[in-house]
Amino acid sequence: MISLYLPGASWCHRLPARLKLILLAVVSMAVFPVQDFWILSALLALTLLAYSSLGKGGLQQVKALRPMGAMLAIIFLLHAVTGDWREGVVTIERLTALILLANLVTITTRMDDMMEAVMPLFAPLSWLGLSPRKPALAVTLVLRFAPVLLSVYSSLREAYQSRSGKRTSWRLMGPFMLQALAMADNVAEALTARGGAEGFGARDTSVLPVRN
Amino acid sequence: MAFFRKRQENAQASSFNPDADPYAVLENVGLEMTGHQVLQDISLKLSERRIGIVGLNGSGKSSLIRLLNGLRLPTSGDVRVFGADTKTVQRDLPRYVGFVFQNPDHQAIFPTVEEEIAFGLTQLGASKTEAVSGARVFLERHGCAHLGPKPFADLSEGQKQLICILAVLVMKPKLLVLDEPMSSLDGLATRRIQNLIAALDQRIIMISHDLSLLTSYDRVLWMEGGRLRMDGSPQDVLPAYEADISARADIPVDGDAF
Amino acid sequence: MNDRTLVQIAFYAALTAALGLLPKLAIPVAGGVPVTAQTLGIMLAGVMLGPVRGALAILLFLFLVALGAPLLAGGRGGLGVFQSPGAGFILAWPIGAFVAGLIMQKTASWRVLPAAALAATVGGIGVVYLFGIPGLAYLADMSLAKAATGSAVFIPGDAIKVVVAAVVAETVARGLPRALLSRS
Repeated sequence: MISLYLPGASWCHRLPARLKLILLAVVSMAVFPVQDFWILSALLALTLLAYSSLGKGGLQQVKALRPMGAMLAIIFLLHAVTGDWREGVVTIERLTALILLANLVTITTRMDDMMEAVMPLFAPLSWLGLSPRKPALAVTLVLRFAPVLLSVYSSLREAYQSRSGKRTSWRLMGPFMLQALAMADNVAEALTARGGAEGFGARDTSVLPVRN
Repeated sequence: MAFFRKRQENAQASSFNPDADPYAVLENVGLEMTGHQVLQDISLKLSERRIGIVGLNGSGKSSLIRLLNGLRLPTSGDVRVFGADTKTVQRDLPRYVGFVFQNPDHQAIFPTVEEEIAFGLTQLGASKTEAVSGARVFLERHGCAHLGPKPFADLSEGQKQLICILAVLVMKPKLLVLDEPMSSLDGLATRRIQNLIAALDQRIIMISHDLSLLTSYDRVLWMEGGRLRMDGSPQDVLPAYEADISARADIPVDGDAF
Repeated sequence: MNDRTLVQIAFYAALTAALGLLPKLAIPVAGGVPVTAQTLGIMLAGVMLGPVRGALAILLFLFLVALGAPLLAGGRGGLGVFQSPGAGFILAWPIGAFVAGLIMQKTASWRVLPAAALAATVGGIGVVYLFGIPGLAYLADMSLAKAATGSAVFIPGDAIKVVVAAVVAETVARGLPRALLSRS
């Protein structure tokens, strides 16, 4: 499964997922109004310390900031050019610390555990007569569809290239959608053929549990 | 609301009789889809253990077997499977009638083999851990333990179809309906799947364009233009079907005939 | 919610993910700003599925991102994304899909092409910037005007996506009308 999870057994990996999520929310809310350079510097240093305590390769995970580098630079420049550069520094410090803390939770929590931790949020679905199983099933379906979509697109691109010589075109999006939607219909039928998203009401004791 | 609905379903499910003989009865069945009459006037009593279905593309074979699993409901007439009207038990039918699709890529719902098998067990009320361990046991029993963690997309065509059939069998259906399961397989994989199916206790209804797969069956139905054209033993139906194809193939035609 | 609806919602969530992963679909726009096709997924979810299902599809996508799947363009993902300066834009996506779907329903008497173009413009650009710019201003501690200037570079790319979304909706309406759930 594609995931940002960094396998390991550090103290942060061992904390329960739900506790980590709550701590993150509390810290984020507390840090948001802070404008003091020294407090934020200390927070940033603590965060980096936490990363390095993850063990080998821990500190490398700070790379999560890289795709946001340009954006952070622009924000700093906008502050520096039109106002106070010190304000820019504080803003970047705060954003960086918050992003890194959130990322710390992500890389030390398996997707399964994260899912498990937030499942209670879906309990209200059953009041509406919907199965709380549905979000989990939907997540699995997305993970199954994404690679299939990419392969539908690449075979379509090949067919296009074989007759046009051109590599790709936005005009492929329409036919791509038609083919991909037909594929989704097949999956919907397959789901219904095996009892649908809700499953069968009662537990079937004649079949469960499976033993050798 | 949900509670009420569930109880109602259980009451309906109890009207199934897994030992019903014949296990499927179709009475004057018609099926219309998007203004098109796909099936008409079909009356059948099915009680044989092995039934084959033949017919040209578009003859209504696939629609006919979809009626048995509740994927389609008849627009006229009645379909009763294991004694229950499919209109009232539609949602519970897949528990008794397993369905194997022509293209394994269309059937697989989950990213990995293990999840694909485990799904059937969670459908029957297993918890997540029960289902995963159950799936492992089941795969091992069928000599596929090593395939469990693999992504479905990485399997060979034969392995894919094998997993699709196992994913249905894990639910222990009483009847297995197969829509040309061998059409994408090479010779060896076809023979292996054929042997697997032949050894099953379940009642089997299978569509096939490869007539040699049906010679040992108890009964063969020949569909044409949404109607039943011939119904009998494979020794009678298969040669007649083949002769009809040969006769028609040699007449010069325009594109409409395809 | 039946099986087909659930699968459709998952489908558009996966489509949005796939659009972010397709490097071939990145459009180089004036100013060298790399534009990915990801917001095309937002527009299509709303236009094709209607308000509620469209918004659910995008929420599902964001849920996966929050769980730690690196599905945002450039391989970003995880909770850090929701703390980043662009979080306002991302959180506006489900609302944008909702509004686009609503417009498709309200313009049911129009032809599909103009209706989808309007829906994608208002939902996919209007709503997203309406929430995104104040979000950026707030998170990055800058004035609204500055935040707006910083965001404007993405508008040409988004305009191209509106055209693509409208053409795709029209193609699907002709080729597979039942898939245009916002109109059925």
